[in-house]
Amino acid sequence: MADFIGLVWAGVVSGCLYAMGAIGIVLIYKSSNVVNFAHGNLAGLAAFLVFGFTAGTFANMAWGTAVLLTLVIMVAVMSVSYFLIAPLVFKSDLTSTIATLGIGLVAQGVTQLTFGANVVSMDLPLPAWKMQLGPVRVASYDVAVLGVTALAIGLLYLLIERTRIGIAFRAVSANPFASRVCGLNLRRVHLFSWVTAGLLGLVASLLIVPTTFLSSTTVSSFMLQAFAAAVVGGFSSLPGAVLGGIFIGVLMNLLSFYVSAEFNNSYLLLVMLMVLNVFPKGVLAARGGARV
Amino acid sequence: MSSALLAADSASAVAARPARRWAVGIGGVLGLVVLLLPLLAGGYWTFTLGVCFANAIAIISVSFLVRYAGEVSIGHGVFVAAGAYTVALVEKYLGLSLLASLPIAAVAGALLGIAFAFPSRHLSGITLAVATMALALALPELLLHFSSVSGGYEGLYVKLDALPGVPKSLQRYYLPLVGLVGVVLLLRHFRRSRQAMALLLIRTSAHAAESFGVRRSWARLSCMALSGGIAAIAGALLSFSSSTVSPNSFTLWTSIFLLVGSVVSLYSLSIVGSVLGGLFLTLLPLLLAGAGDWVPILYGSALLAVVLGFNAMPPGLRARLEGRQT
Repeated sequence: MADFIGLVWAGVVSGCLYAMGAIGIVLIYKSSNVVNFAHGNLAGLAAFLVFGFTAGTFANMAWGTAVLLTLVIMVAVMSVSYFLIAPLVFKSDLTSTIATLGIGLVAQGVTQLTFGANVVSMDLPLPAWKMQLGPVRVASYDVAVLGVTALAIGLLYLLIERTRIGIAFRAVSANPFASRVCGLNLRRVHLFSWVTAGLLGLVASLLIVPTTFLSSTTVSSFMLQAFAAAVVGGFSSLPGAVLGGIFIGVLMNLLSFYVSAEFNNSYLLLVMLMVLNVFPKGVLAARGGARV
Repeated sequence: MSSALLAADSASAVAARPARRWAVGIGGVLGLVVLLLPLLAGGYWTFTLGVCFANAIAIISVSFLVRYAGEVSIGHGVFVAAGAYTVALVEKYLGLSLLASLPIAAVAGALLGIAFAFPSRHLSGITLAVATMALALALPELLLHFSSVSGGYEGLYVKLDALPGVPKSLQRYYLPLVGLVGVVLLLRHFRRSRQAMALLLIRTSAHAAESFGVRRSWARLSCMALSGGIAAIAGALLSFSSSTVSPNSFTLWTSIFLLVGSVVSLYSLSIVGSVLGGLFLTLLPLLLAGAGDWVPILYGSALLAVVLGFNAMPPGLRARLEGRQT
C-alpha cells in the first residue's frame, strides 16, 4: 500500500508536467485546428537554449536571466513557426499539421547541430530539502513542480477568463466564422495560443529535465505522454488536458511498476485507443462540463 | 490537398496529344536507362537504387492513404516493418525465399492495417495521426522485448536468393523495380474500380456517400488495409535489398521521413513521382554522410518548402501538377 501511495504521488507530479505539455497542444488545436507535432521538439530546443546560456555554450549567465532570455527567444521562435504555417491554416488542417512536422524536424536538427549528441544534466536552482509525509517522500522538486503548475494554470485561467485576448480566444475556439464576422483578428488569437503554448512548453521542459538527462531527444520523447493526455481529455478541453495529464502520469507509474517498465509507449497507444472508443469526445464531455 | 486531387486525373487523360507523345518518348528512354542501368553502373549504385525503389513503394503507401482517405499517417514505418520482419521470419523458420514470403508479407501488412484501423475507425484525421504516432513509438519496444523471435537490437538477416542463378546484386535491383511497377499498375487499375470510386466519394462528401450506402468506417478499414499491404510489400523488398532488418531502421523518424518523401513527391501514385520521393529519401543521407545533423533540417525545410510552395502556386498550375502526376 505504501508503494501504491508513493507511486500515485510521483505519478501526480510527473502528470502535472504532461498536463502542461498537453495544455499547449490543446491551446493550439482549439484556436487554429492544427495539431502541433513540433511541440516536443520546440520545447526541447528551449531547454537546450537555457542550458546553452547557463553552461557556457553561448554565455555563462545566472539561471534566472537565462530563463528570461529564453522566454523572449521562444516568443520569437513560436511566432516564426506560426507565420511559417500561417498561409495554410485557413485552407487545410491536415496540410498545416503536416507542415508542423517540418518545423519539428528543423527544430530537432538545429538542436542536434548546435548542441551535438551530448547528454548533459541540468538542475533547477532548488534547495536540497526533503520531508517524509507518511508513505510519501516529498522533495523540494515535487513542491516546485506542483507550485509552478498551479501557478501556470492559474495564470492561464485568469488570462482566458478575464482578459480581452482570452475572451477572443474562447470566441474563436467556439466559432471561428462568427468571431471573424464580429471583427476579431483570428491571426492575433492564433499567435496568442502559439506563443502561450511555447512558453508552457519551456516551463514544462525545464521541470522535466532534472528527472532525466538532457539530450537532443529526451524532451521530445515526452511528447507522446502529452498527446495521450490531450486525447484523454478530449483534445479540445483545457481542464480535460490537466486531468488527462495527471491520469496518464499516475497510470504510467502504476503500470510500469506493477506490470513491466518496458512497454511505456505501447501502454500509451492502448490507453489512447481505448479512450477514443469509450469516450470519443474525451472524458469530460460525457458530463457536459468543461467550458474553457 | 483539395479533393480535386484525383478528379484532375481524368481531365489529364484528354490532354493535348503532342505533349503526350513527348512524354511517352521521354518515359521510354528513361525506362530503358533504368532497365539497363545495372549493366553500366557499379554495385554501389544498383544497391542504392534498389533500396530507393523499395522506399518509393513505401512512399506510395503513405500517398495512397492521403489521396484515398484524406488521412495522414506518421506511423507507416510499422507496416513497412511488418513486411520486413515477415520476410526475415519466414526465412528463419520456414526456409522460404522472398518469392514465397512476399504475398504473406502483404497479407500480414493488410491484417495489421485492419487491426489498427478497427479501434480507430471512427476517428477523424487528427486523432488518427496521433494514434499512428503512438503506434510508431510502440514498435521498437515490442521488437526489443520479443528478441528471441525478432533478433533484438541486431535484428535478422535475409540471405536466401529469390531467383537462384541470378547474381545477387541484380536480384536486389530488379525485384524492387518489378515490385514498384507492379504496385503502380495495380493502383492504376484500382483507380477505375467501383471500390476506388466509393472511397473517393467518401472523401469528397461523406454525407453523399452515406446516403448511397457507403459507410465511413468501411472506407477507413479498406484504405488502411490496402495501404498497410502496400507498405508491407515495400518492407519485404527493402529487407531483401538491404539483406537485414533491425529495430533501428523502423523508428518514429522512419515514419516521419516516409511522410516527408510522400509530400515531396506531391502524394504521387506514379512511378516517376514516387521514385523522385524515394531518391530524395535515399540519396540525401548518403550525400550528407559527413554532416548527419543537417539531414533533419534539410528534410524539414524541404517539407515546408514543398507544402508552402505548392500552396503559393496559381490554381491552374497546381491543378496541372496534380493531374499530371496522378
